[in-house]
Amino acid sequence: MDASAVTLALNLIYHIAVLALVGLGLGIVFGLLGVMNMAHGEFIALGAYAMLAVQNHGLAPGYGVALAVLGTAALGYPVERWLVRPLRSRPLDTLLATWGLSLLLRKSIEAVFGRQYQNVSNNLSGTSTLLGAEYPDYRLLLIVVIFVGFALLALWYRRSPAGARLQASVANRPLAQAIGIDVDRQACVAFVCGVASAGLAGALLAPLVRVEPLMGMDYLLDSFFVLVVGGLGSLSGLAAGSGIIGGTQVVVSTISDQTGGYVAVLLLSIGFLWLRPNGLLARR
Amino acid sequence: MLALVLSSVPHLSDDFRAYQLGTYLLYGVAAQGVALAWGRAGFLPLGQALFFGLGAYSAGMVLIASQANATLLALLPLAVLLPAALAYAIARLVFARQYVSGPNFSLITLALAMLAAQLANQWSGLTGGFNGLANIPEIGGLDRYSTMYYLIVALVVASTALLGWLYRTPLGALWLAVAQNENRLQFFGFATDRLKALAFALAGALAASAGALYATQQGLVTPQAIGFELSTELVIWTAVGGRFGPYGALLGAVGIGLLSAELRDVWIHWQVAMALIFILVVLRFPAGMAGALQTYGRRLWPRSWMAGEEPLSSQSAAAPNYLPAPPRNRAADTSTLEPIRLEFNRVNVRIQGVSILSGLQLHLRGAGIHCIIGPNGAGKTSSFNALTGRLPLSDGDIHFSGRRVSGLRADTIARMGIARKFQIPSVFSALSVRDNLCIALWGNRANALQLLQASTWRWRSTLWEFLIASFPFLETESDRHAGELSQGQRQMLELAMTLLMEPRLLLLDEPCAGLSVAETGQQTDVIKRAVTLIGCTALVIEHDMAAVARLSDQVHVLHQGRLLASGSLADIQGNPDVQAVYSGGQK
Amino acid sequence: MKRRSLIQKSLAIGSMASTGLLSHRQLFAAGPVKVGVMIPMSGPAGLFGPSAKNCAELAVAEINARGGLAGSPIEMIVSDAGVPPAEASQAALKLWKGQKVQAFIGMHDSAVRGALVGVFKGQVPYIYTSTYEGGECSAGTQVLAETPAQQLEPVIPWISKERKLKKWYLIGNDYNWPRDTNAMAKKYIAAAGGSIVGEEYLPFTTDNFDASLAKIKATGAEAVLITLVGGASVGFNRAFASFGLSDTVTRLGTLIEENTLAGIGAQNAANLYSSSGYFAAIDTPAAIDFAKRYTARFGAQAPPLNALAQSVYDGFLLLEAMANKARSMDPQKLEAAAKGVSFSSPRGQTTMQDRHGKKDIYLARADGSGFKVVQVFKQVGAGKNC
Repeated sequence: MDASAVTLALNLIYHIAVLALVGLGLGIVFGLLGVMNMAHGEFIALGAYAMLAVQNHGLAPGYGVALAVLGTAALGYPVERWLVRPLRSRPLDTLLATWGLSLLLRKSIEAVFGRQYQNVSNNLSGTSTLLGAEYPDYRLLLIVVIFVGFALLALWYRRSPAGARLQASVANRPLAQAIGIDVDRQACVAFVCGVASAGLAGALLAPLVRVEPLMGMDYLLDSFFVLVVGGLGSLSGLAAGSGIIGGTQVVVSTISDQTGGYVAVLLLSIGFLWLRPNGLLARR
Repeated sequence: MLALVLSSVPHLSDDFRAYQLGTYLLYGVAAQGVALAWGRAGFLPLGQALFFGLGAYSAGMVLIASQANATLLALLPLAVLLPAALAYAIARLVFARQYVSGPNFSLITLALAMLAAQLANQWSGLTGGFNGLANIPEIGGLDRYSTMYYLIVALVVASTALLGWLYRTPLGALWLAVAQNENRLQFFGFATDRLKALAFALAGALAASAGALYATQQGLVTPQAIGFELSTELVIWTAVGGRFGPYGALLGAVGIGLLSAELRDVWIHWQVAMALIFILVVLRFPAGMAGALQTYGRRLWPRSWMAGEEPLSSQSAAAPNYLPAPPRNRAADTSTLEPIRLEFNRVNVRIQGVSILSGLQLHLRGAGIHCIIGPNGAGKTSSFNALTGRLPLSDGDIHFSGRRVSGLRADTIARMGIARKFQIPSVFSALSVRDNLCIALWGNRANALQLLQASTWRWRSTLWEFLIASFPFLETESDRHAGELSQGQRQMLELAMTLLMEPRLLLLDEPCAGLSVAETGQQTDVIKRAVTLIGCTALVIEHDMAAVARLSDQVHVLHQGRLLASGSLADIQGNPDVQAVYSGGQK
Repeated sequence: MKRRSLIQKSLAIGSMASTGLLSHRQLFAAGPVKVGVMIPMSGPAGLFGPSAKNCAELAVAEINARGGLAGSPIEMIVSDAGVPPAEASQAALKLWKGQKVQAFIGMHDSAVRGALVGVFKGQVPYIYTSTYEGGECSAGTQVLAETPAQQLEPVIPWISKERKLKKWYLIGNDYNWPRDTNAMAKKYIAAAGGSIVGEEYLPFTTDNFDASLAKIKATGAEAVLITLVGGASVGFNRAFASFGLSDTVTRLGTLIEENTLAGIGAQNAANLYSSSGYFAAIDTPAAIDFAKRYTARFGAQAPPLNALAQSVYDGFLLLEAMANKARSMDPQKLEAAAKGVSFSSPRGQTTMQDRHGKKDIYLARADGSGFKVVQVFKQVGAGKNC
């Protein structure tokens, strides 16, 4: 099999998987709760910096992942309680509030770690040859982790009682409340899980990407487009959006060039947003 | 007054301050456009710098070219008109496809701004690329560091005055209505996508004119004038300054923008302060700084200019000389001499495997009140939805006086003379009762020019007088926000609004729901008399048999999406099939 | 017009100065000379702000200890050049007209440079110190910034021979600096007997380089000339190494400094070369002493030295040399004095020629936690610019 075709296929899978991973946090917060969290990228950055902090203290990366998840979760609770919940009825106002939050988080990162580029080392830096193509090991691991993780998540959401309760309160909040589901607590838990996923994404990606205080913005934009194109409120929407956006970017960049890829993604997003205003697979 | 304050700045301070203020005033004008779209018409443009940048680049190119050939200056208005036309086109295209403003419009505008920034960077032959379009001459021989400031002030005053005036016209009220309850507004015959597109076009024009002056004031336009960062800043300034009036955006741009420029070099934590200000504003002052000023100003000086606007229509209520409303638009109407015909022909509606209407066959002819009854889930409201374009048909069609209505848009159907009252009373809650009635009166009557005239606020009709007499609270509570009325009053208000349209076919969905016995009597009374006055056909869905008895000339029973029986109430009550359905028997 | 604007007033003063009426007054002024320092404190290049500011402070302290500019002490005013060009030019205008700044030293991108040149119009001395694409010839402007000719003309032949490089892939961001650099690079590569197998320009927003890396691999490139900037450079180089390309393909960059290298990480920087006028690792006595003085003043935890920050220090040295040669701060005299003036800096000797600086160029290789200089090219001219 042609090595470059295999590389292209692997790049495609990797890019779609990463978009899904990065978009998951915003998918939970924006898709399920309707909160336009402009600080989503900064939570990812926090996850990456957690890995850096752990590395600077000489501990194993596993602790970094744990710190990333727990740290962002711990931060997510007060944010939900005092910033997001009072603004629940004013969704467009949460945009401004979370924008302010993103500025604060960025400045805090700068204050603690400085503005320079940081390096989180990659402990799995070799490459493996897969069907004739050489591909980085860490990326392969990440692909597997993401797919397995999403499969488990989908299973949990569809099959478990907690997942069913969550689906209920998304579909019809007053009714869910009426039958005894504590929607406030659920929204809080969902928000915390959403930002924790962002932290996890940051931690997992840190060895591969640049780490600096401004790193979050790209992830924010990517996530918004993925969600709105694919459809808010469902995992399949997230997957569809990642597939469309990621697929377009990789394919067009390979055939033409990166500028073409970028423009194609924008045009495609505009097209989808126009023709399918609720996204491809909308649930709400 | 604004003009005075702004013009005095160069005298009080120095030319450089004025120059700096001028730039931020221009941003403020662009932000006023954002406030118009967001605060008034209810949709958020996240890429407004697109139009600002288009105006800037076009004006820059024209001015540079005009150095060689002065007649090219005539092209300068295009720098404003073309972006405005583009804005109109974008909004029409996007809003025609869906009738609620979701996040997708915002993201489309954002994507367009990002695309434009990329193209501006890339087409360096045209735009100067990354380094930008440089050496733009000063317009009209003005000196950018001194006299051009007054031109900028002129633009600011003009835009503020224009917006202030527009907000008080009927069009301004319609924009507010779009933001509050777009669905309802369509049922009065207003093409809401066109209303929103108009707002967006005006916002685009404001941004483009600001951009054009920016190009000549700076002498340089870079891709940053058209991209994501400036778009976001415009939204932030509007949100912080206040998006509900034209002054707020100016306040935000000048206040926050200038503050940032000053603090930036002096205090390294200025961005933290900015972030805290944003959060504070959002949590405590949803109407922004302008709103806060108004609230505190109103408390301190109740009679001052800061006390804010009174309800729109009350400005004209004091005037005793009402104008008779012109007759409703007959363009889409068939002759009134012909009796009304409504035909549901084997209508099937199936959604995800569930059959909502199955072979509904119903023919109505002539004036009079027809009541539709049936158990829950029979498809009564769904038949209304199918008739008014809210539910797509899987099969069959619906004809109204010879014209096919199935598949038309809601506002087109409303303009054909079909008015609908909703099951849950749906009014414009943040507008006053009188404003609500006015909007209903304008539906299918006011043309574009009349929507800009203050005299349109003074329209009244004989039916209006009748409704005021029947529901006195419409007059006594006319300044109250419709959202503050009781459930019963809201039902009556919505009925009044629907009747004011003087439709040929009146669709009433449970008009007596939630009313007490006395109120039900009042309501049915009004319905009967109004129907006679207007000479229309009414279709009334009701559960209250007393009301049905009082109202109906004919009763139709729906069951499981199809017509079960028709006839007078006595016939229906004696019909064994109907009895079986209502008492739980099989059918 | 009953009130003259400040601008018109200063034009009047300027014309008087050129007839020498005011210059005597300035020569004997005991008041400080205000120098505006335009460096990026925010935005993508904001990470260079702290180190650049430090270098500026160090320069000012040392020059003042030596007697200042033509006898007057320097008062430095820093302004943020990381903002859009419109705001940067307004800030510069504020310093010039409002605070009476008499000279500017700028380390920022070309868009801001264009805006500032448009504002100054040659009426105030302006020293531009960041790496750039060449071609700046405006009156009043002196350019210490390295040009592609300087960074590549001697380097490409040397590294082609050293590493046996024939096939080159050019990759950069899509704006004029990379494009102009590559235009010149193609000539040098051809002269060294090499060929171009690919040329690509990326939007600033790209953070996924896989398609480009696949192309690099497919074309069998032996060397990659990198003109990516900022975060793109870090991201690209990390991904480059992760695909195992760093073992077989040599990378050469002209804007890869210590911060970028730190972000790339030592494990991803094998066979990575950088061509620049300064590295913190230069081991000439002047450079070592400079690094010592920097650490002594700002501490061991200070933002690390890099070429961009250090260029601000050199900018002050040039200003000092010009002022001392002209014995005045008058813009016309400084302009005249700048021709051929020479000064020695931590980088070596720099001589002004044709508004640009002829200087030593260093080629360094990434090594462990920093750069190691592998070759010095002495006194390289900046090529034909004006």
